[in-house]
Amino acid sequence: MAREFTRRDFLKLGAMGAATAVMAGCQSPRPWVTLEPYVRPPEQQLAGVATWFASTCRQCPAGCGIVVRIMNGRALKIEGNPDHPLNQGKLCGRGQAGLQVLYNPDRLTGPVQQAQRGSRQYEPLAWEAGINTLYERLQAAGGRVAVWTNSTVSGHLLDLFQRFAAAVGGPAPLVYDLYTGFNGYRSLADASQELFGRATLPAYRLAHADVIFSFGADFLGSGLSAVRYGQEFGGFRSQPLGKRGYLVQLEPRMSISAAVADHWVPVRPGTEGLVAAALVQIIAEEGLAAPDRIALAESLISGLDIGSVAEASDVAAEELEHLAHAFASASEAVALPGAALTGTDASAEALAAVQALNLIAGSAGGETGLSLSPLSPSEAILGPEPASFSEAQSLIEQMRAGDVQVLLVHGANPAYDLPKRAGFLDAMANVPFVVSFAPVVDETAAWADLILPDRTYLEGWGYALVSPGFDRPVVSGQQPVVTPVFDSRSTADILLTVARGIPAAAQALPWPHEVAFLQETIGQLGPGAAGGSGTEVLWSRFQQTGGWWPAEPSEPEVPSLPSARAIQVSSPNFRGRQEEYPYHLYLYPSGLLSDGRGASQPWLQGSPDPMTTVSWQTWVELHPELAEELGLHDGDIVRVISPEGEVEAPVCTYPAIRPDTVAIPLGQGHTDYGRYARDRGQNPMQLVGTQADATGSNLAWSALRVKIQPTGEKVDLALFENKVGVTEGFLNAEFPH
Amino acid sequence: MSVVRSIPRLWRVIAGVVLVLVVLVGGYLIFAMNSRAAPQQPIDFNHQIMVSVGMECLYCHNTATRSPAAGIPSMEKCMGCHNVIATDRPPVQELAGYWERQEPIPWVRVYRVPRFVFFNHSVHVNAAGLNCERCHGDVGNMVEVYPVVDMNMGWCLNCHNQQSNASQLRDCAVCHR
Repeated sequence: MAREFTRRDFLKLGAMGAATAVMAGCQSPRPWVTLEPYVRPPEQQLAGVATWFASTCRQCPAGCGIVVRIMNGRALKIEGNPDHPLNQGKLCGRGQAGLQVLYNPDRLTGPVQQAQRGSRQYEPLAWEAGINTLYERLQAAGGRVAVWTNSTVSGHLLDLFQRFAAAVGGPAPLVYDLYTGFNGYRSLADASQELFGRATLPAYRLAHADVIFSFGADFLGSGLSAVRYGQEFGGFRSQPLGKRGYLVQLEPRMSISAAVADHWVPVRPGTEGLVAAALVQIIAEEGLAAPDRIALAESLISGLDIGSVAEASDVAAEELEHLAHAFASASEAVALPGAALTGTDASAEALAAVQALNLIAGSAGGETGLSLSPLSPSEAILGPEPASFSEAQSLIEQMRAGDVQVLLVHGANPAYDLPKRAGFLDAMANVPFVVSFAPVVDETAAWADLILPDRTYLEGWGYALVSPGFDRPVVSGQQPVVTPVFDSRSTADILLTVARGIPAAAQALPWPHEVAFLQETIGQLGPGAAGGSGTEVLWSRFQQTGGWWPAEPSEPEVPSLPSARAIQVSSPNFRGRQEEYPYHLYLYPSGLLSDGRGASQPWLQGSPDPMTTVSWQTWVELHPELAEELGLHDGDIVRVISPEGEVEAPVCTYPAIRPDTVAIPLGQGHTDYGRYARDRGQNPMQLVGTQADATGSNLAWSALRVKIQPTGEKVDLALFENKVGVTEGFLNAEFPH
Repeated sequence: MSVVRSIPRLWRVIAGVVLVLVVLVGGYLIFAMNSRAAPQQPIDFNHQIMVSVGMECLYCHNTATRSPAAGIPSMEKCMGCHNVIATDRPPVQELAGYWERQEPIPWVRVYRVPRFVFFNHSVHVNAAGLNCERCHGDVGNMVEVYPVVDMNMGWCLNCHNQQSNASQLRDCAVCHR
């Protein structure tokens, strides 16, 4: 039966089609938009006009000034504060992502408790009930209260914690987190104490330097105060008459700082200090500096065998000679110590050797080169002084021994930051009551009895003493830029409330609320660059300008050398026998996720790593030669095993790394901390044991050997230009590899 | 034999009637979507009453001279008067209900320009000296506010072209920044 399709049928079907299209189009009525007015408008808020508030970034301890754009009560954009002496209007990616700390969908909407620790069954409770429980526990505990906080804690809260601890007779609050631990804040301060007589972080002025020797310092990426160093580097590269400086980066794996260097020297891990010492000795032996400096160099370092240094560091003797000449012939030379130097058993000597280079270059205390962070402008202003690893260990020991009745954890996340072997969670089981103040439940808060979420830094009050400090002391101000998004309360206010009921503490903490305390503190500073006098004026200028700092830079403090002593640099002891564990492990903090605190922010997760372009993952960097030797390709999952632990992660071949070294970034491997962080990647801190360096300042995290076992599994790496799924067949056929 | 002819005649008639209805209803809906009918507001708010008692536009939409947005008055502002005025009227009682619950009223926006257009009320009110009715019609005589014009590019340019600085005002970047 043949079907005819007549003109008439065509028209009928066409009409039906048109009618159907019309009906389909009618499914979505005109997209009306609703406009919700304020119930009660905030003062000075003009619909459609942005308001900018000055505050302080708290994504890392540096303390950059920020300005935040507020539209209709919502924070839309964070920029650098152009008036701020530290960052001068610039800001890094982590600072920009701060909005996602504020508007994180996994923030607690109010206080919660859990009947069984680690059950993750959180029961909401009223603020009054939460605060009363805390009060009862604190009153019963007396002096057996410990506070564990981190390096981005506001100075005023740290001050209140200290006053509270002193009043009830408890131990001083512990400031310890992975960021300051990994970057060796305490080791650097200890080295300053030993060499120059003052325990403070060194700062390096680079803008007018001729030559920079960076011993593994990723000062443009994940290092201390990377925004300021980026500014300094900008000056260094654009000096008068077209001079652009000469940067030598000595490190086993090319970081972003090495990528912009003029010369990259891939030294063997752990030998950076030895190389610095060898340079000092060569300068002295060959008389490459002024006589007084040669005498100083001789008194600091002697008796090194350059040949064996060359062998240990894998830098040829001629190269060492060449480097020494390059350093000594510059009129302004600076040497930077990196984080990896602080994570070995020989850290103190290695740091001293790098600082010795600065001393004999004469680049200490001038407009260029090494200076010590300025002193706090007032006794009332506190900067967090990061604890040493051994101090953290001793608190864990006290917890284990049952000497701590109540543990208050603010900002810190020791359950994630420390290797499992440090035993934090085991020791916490012996603490009867644990309170966390985390806005998002992290690994430590998941084991707390009570969580009283603090406000995030864009909603809360505070100040930060800028550290490392450059040309002047800066007290960076922090103020709420939006009304709190959730039902959170300031921890400082909670502490003041609770203290009123505890007789021992009531007198030590008499302020009605944190703002009264802050006003009193800031009022003691006297007029700064913004001028004014009297507490009220100073306080309002503090908020307007984003902090307090003197109008003029202070005279650089010349670091004095109390007693020149011989520096005995040695190769660090690497854990793991070479026969069994053939590769060096090189851990480094992610420039985006930092020590892991950025993992809750999808902007940071999704930003590609600047060197490998990987995002959302943990990866293991292998040199292509090593990968070929082991028969591994990008995405092959390997088990990296150290004498202390193991992790599994995919391989990312990376040509800019020594073939005997395996690098893994920090930051992933969270088991809590919100949907973006949880169950993603690995925490390589599990490869690190609990051994500290010789002085106990820092965890010896960088002197480790590992072995690699293929697991036979494979995943796709999230890389730029990854051919997976797009052009795989084509590329493999055309360009076999 | 055609497919359609195989269907009984009665069904074909019914299908034809349905088809005609569908086209008519559909056509009406298309017209309604693009028409200038007033949107349904959550409260029967009456602009006519407000204007008839002598209130100026700028009393409520008071950021029109200072900001890109004319602004919707805050509920605090509404309640400033309606705490005592006309409290027996059902719409005012609805307003009071929102106020008690501290909820914003989800007003439906009547005029909208696309997101890639930067429109600024204060420039038009201050520098150009336009009064509100010029664009929004005689709101004082509207029980429910409806859009009197389609605010499209041709409509904007009609006016921009007549100004003494038309060459400036015709520049793309004036609105598309």
